Amino acid sequence: MTTDATKTSESVPAKKTRDIYLPPERKVISGGGAAHIVAKDFSIYYGEFQAVKKINADILSKYVTAIIGPSGCGKSTFLRAINRMNDLIPSCHTTGALLFDGDDIYGKLTDEVLLRKKVGMVFQKPNPFPKSIFDNIAYGPRLHGVNDKKKLMEIVERSLRKAAIWDEVSDRLDKNALGLSGGQQQRLCVARTLAVEPEVLLLDEPTSALDPKATAKIEDLIQELRGSYTIMIVTHNMQQASRVSDSTMFFYEGVLVEHAPTAQLFTNPKDPMTEDYITGRFS
Amino acid sequence: MNIGTRKILDRSFTAVGIGSIIVMAIALMIVVVPIVSNGIGAVFFTGTIEHRKLLRDEFKRGNSENLDSEVASSERYRAKVYDMLTGFEAELETMAPEKKTQYKGKYSQVRTALQALLGPLPGDQMPMLTRFKYGQTRWEKAEEKLHDLLYESKWDNSNTEVMSREYFVSRAKSFEGTSLAPLFPYLSHNVEKMLLPEFTVYWGFITDSSVDSHFFGGIWPEIQGTFFLAMGAMLFAFPLGVVAAVYFTEYAKPGFLNSMLRSANSTLAGVPSIVFGMFGLAFFINTLKVSPSKSVIAGALTLAIMILPTIIRAAEEAILAVPKTYREASLSLGSTKWNTIATVILPAALPGILTGGVISLGRAAGETAPIIFTAAVSVGSAIGLADVLSSPTPALSWNIYNLASEHEAAAQIRHVQYGMVLALVSIVLLLNLSAIVLRARISKKLKG
Amino acid sequence: MAEEKVESNRTNAFVVSARKRTIQNVVKRAGESVLFAIASFVAVIVLFIFYFVARDAIPFFQIRGFTEFFTSSNWYPADDPGQFGALAIMYGSLMVTIGSAMIAVPMGVAAAICLSDILPFSIRQYAKPIIEMLAAIPSVAFGFFALVVLAPLMQDKGGPMLMWAWWILVSPFLLLAVIVVSDLLTAAIKDEKRRQQLHILLLIVFGLFSVLLLYKVGTVLYGVQILTGTNALNVSIILSFMALPTIVSVSEDALQAVGRDLREGSYALGATRAETIIKTVLPAASSGILAAVILGIMRALGETMVVWMASGNSSHIPEPWFNYLEAIRTLTATIAGDMGEADQVTGSARFHVLFAMGLLLLLISFISNLVSERIVIRQRKILSGQ
Repeated sequence: MTTDATKTSESVPAKKTRDIYLPPERKVISGGGAAHIVAKDFSIYYGEFQAVKKINADILSKYVTAIIGPSGCGKSTFLRAINRMNDLIPSCHTTGALLFDGDDIYGKLTDEVLLRKKVGMVFQKPNPFPKSIFDNIAYGPRLHGVNDKKKLMEIVERSLRKAAIWDEVSDRLDKNALGLSGGQQQRLCVARTLAVEPEVLLLDEPTSALDPKATAKIEDLIQELRGSYTIMIVTHNMQQASRVSDSTMFFYEGVLVEHAPTAQLFTNPKDPMTEDYITGRFS
Repeated sequence: MNIGTRKILDRSFTAVGIGSIIVMAIALMIVVVPIVSNGIGAVFFTGTIEHRKLLRDEFKRGNSENLDSEVASSERYRAKVYDMLTGFEAELETMAPEKKTQYKGKYSQVRTALQALLGPLPGDQMPMLTRFKYGQTRWEKAEEKLHDLLYESKWDNSNTEVMSREYFVSRAKSFEGTSLAPLFPYLSHNVEKMLLPEFTVYWGFITDSSVDSHFFGGIWPEIQGTFFLAMGAMLFAFPLGVVAAVYFTEYAKPGFLNSMLRSANSTLAGVPSIVFGMFGLAFFINTLKVSPSKSVIAGALTLAIMILPTIIRAAEEAILAVPKTYREASLSLGSTKWNTIATVILPAALPGILTGGVISLGRAAGETAPIIFTAAVSVGSAIGLADVLSSPTPALSWNIYNLASEHEAAAQIRHVQYGMVLALVSIVLLLNLSAIVLRARISKKLKG
Repeated sequence: MAEEKVESNRTNAFVVSARKRTIQNVVKRAGESVLFAIASFVAVIVLFIFYFVARDAIPFFQIRGFTEFFTSSNWYPADDPGQFGALAIMYGSLMVTIGSAMIAVPMGVAAAICLSDILPFSIRQYAKPIIEMLAAIPSVAFGFFALVVLAPLMQDKGGPMLMWAWWILVSPFLLLAVIVVSDLLTAAIKDEKRRQQLHILLLIVFGLFSVLLLYKVGTVLYGVQILTGTNALNVSIILSFMALPTIVSVSEDALQAVGRDLREGSYALGATRAETIIKTVLPAASSGILAAVILGIMRALGETMVVWMASGNSSHIPEPWFNYLEAIRTLTATIAGDMGEADQVTGSARFHVLFAMGLLLLLISFISNLVSERIVIRQRKILSGQ
């Protein structure tokens, strides 16, 4: 975290870690807890339609933040706003501010390509390129100027190890990535994202297309990565949110209804709507 | 209506549908089968000794010693024919004047037919045209000529109600009593010994130049011309088409301008091919003056604008078929839009784009109308690569038309025409087949 | 928290200087402009085609006016002074276009229905390449076939061929008509027994009548003598082969665009498959099929090689006007055939008249393209609106 270099930073994580309530089995992360991404009256529109309505939130660095809510509530839209994937939709525009380490993601001087290098994303459906496993991982580093074969190999191995898939694919790096199973493909996608060394990892329902076994592996992986990256995960599965995240945001019809430490939100929600949702009264 | 009738109607409806597909298949067969079966005859046929002499004289091919002994043996049998001719000529001199005129006419017919069958007779001047220097090179033609020699063809006009009919009169009969009479039975018995037919595989049909405006030899100049024109057209149209498709799929914003461009594309696709030819003449040759008159480059440019819409459409479809997730994945890794297109989208769309390209290549190779005024000549030798900027070329499509419709002896060189059509059709169909295979491979590859 | 932002010289890697951002934007714009320029190349070509063909066509009308070209059948361009009446030539084009449409449209639409609604997928896989191959065969090969195979056949065996074609094509439909008509005529009768008796009677009467008709017309056709094999019928048949693939594939798309729901709705009401298709699917897809027909017809109208080789190239209006067994001449063939001679005297009426014909073809194809495009767009709107 580069922010920590400044003088204010020392007090910030200390202050933040106190803010977040963690159950005993989850470790406090030293150096984590700074306000990494901050939304200020942030709204997203598709043309006239306001998909995300004036939300205010701090996403804490190096912790896992889950976003839950019924489908169409704007949770994915919000997540995709963080690395400006919504730019692909021509009618999409925003108001308010969304700050990354204090700089506006939608600022005039933001280079979205450099931004996306810092904010990686893993999608709902595993989407490896129809290339070899090696080339999939090396795609990002090559883009950013790494061409040395040895160095690429190092990055590939490191990323695959981090994504806990190295042992399964180390002997067939030159095979087409589309030959892997769904769960392996998704972990490959995580590895591919890690290879560009992002600070933030956005996971958009990463397990919705996977079977329970593969899902468990991805969840384990998220626990491994917790503490190294600021992770945000959109999920429709509340058990998953409660298992993997430190804090949870509940969206409903574009509004951020509640944002609280996970243990607290699931056991003692402040908003009746949240309670209705987590108890399954609507979905 | 009662239910029985309704069911019958339903069945017949199905039958009509299936019937029309079957009719289409039959139509395809009816067109393709004669082309293939006759076209193969240009390469595989029963060749006579005249064919082998031709190959030796014109192309310096074949075993000269063997051929010499063959020629000697055939000459032995021919010598008797020549003797009979000289004998009859002498007899002719002794005839009464009236009879003489009568036989003279008939005799000159026999001589002409013999020349057609065996080549120049002793004492003849060596003809200028190669086609008259040799007898029949193909056995089936030789049999026809033999028939012409043995029988005189006459037309029956007696019944004016119906079209006149052809019938044959034996020449042996009309020469009965003269010294020429034995010639006819002798010929029909010994023609094989005079012409020595044997099964021949003439690959030179594909690789040789033509001799005496396609009477003999092969079609290499045409094949090469077709290749130059089609490849030249692709060279211009393919990059342009792919870039335009990238613009339409990745950058164009919906609006008036965009729909105008799309309309232009479909308009171009609908322009009759002959109009492309006129445009090529008026624009590339008469206005831009890319070449003083017809040239390969002018033809290739004309073909290029003709196939451009097809390439654009195919490339667009292929690009749109690339899953959106690839785009997202690449962008989320910090790739620029252009980089994403170049490294992810185009490679994934490549098989589809190539499929479109290959089909367009086939279309460019097969089209005739656009090159009539811009690139094609009926006779000519193969041109070098350096000449494409200035000289026209023969091409398969144009020469098929030319040989079939405008050649002075079109009916005599049907085998060459069929061979050309087969060459063109197989080039085009092979290209299409490879496109189909390519397409099958894409779906396989995208499935992993 | 937000207050941190005050930090002035600390910027993220993704925030770039204003200068760099401007350069990025300029480069992006420039790149897009280049792409746009390339993409609009097609539009430029279309304008150029219109301009250059019109440029050489207009002098003809300046020299000779419009009347002769459109109303006279005297085509003697080589005479001095030449006569440039193109009526018979335009009529020839119209004739082969209509002739080929009459063969290709019913067959093409039937085949498209078959492909989209009737055949199982496994057979469709093999049917599609047939259509693609038919589309791929070069026009000159079709022309060669028409000239070398079909024309002599027609000349020798024209009568018998016509007779067999008549029998094979018409007898099934006549049989069907007999069944349907006798059923419809007796439908009103209440008494079941009487109805059946009458039905059978009618079947026999109509059946005998149609057999007689088949036989009579057959013998007449058998006696027909085709004087030249290179005639409008020959060309129409071959052109219909060439128009078929377009008609089939475009109408199949139109039929596919009609959703499953509509079909299922009709089946649920007890309609047979034929009734479902004719009463429900075809009307919904009709505009798309119309577009397909227009595109197919345009292929026939714009085709050069087949008509040039096999139409006989005789510039006169057949007697009687619907006689498809006479040689005719078309616009495309005239352009192709006369340009060679006219070319040497660029600037003469003889040269420009060919461009006038080209312009005519170009305008017709342009208009029909626009029309078919509008039709397709409208259909898409209607279908998505439902």
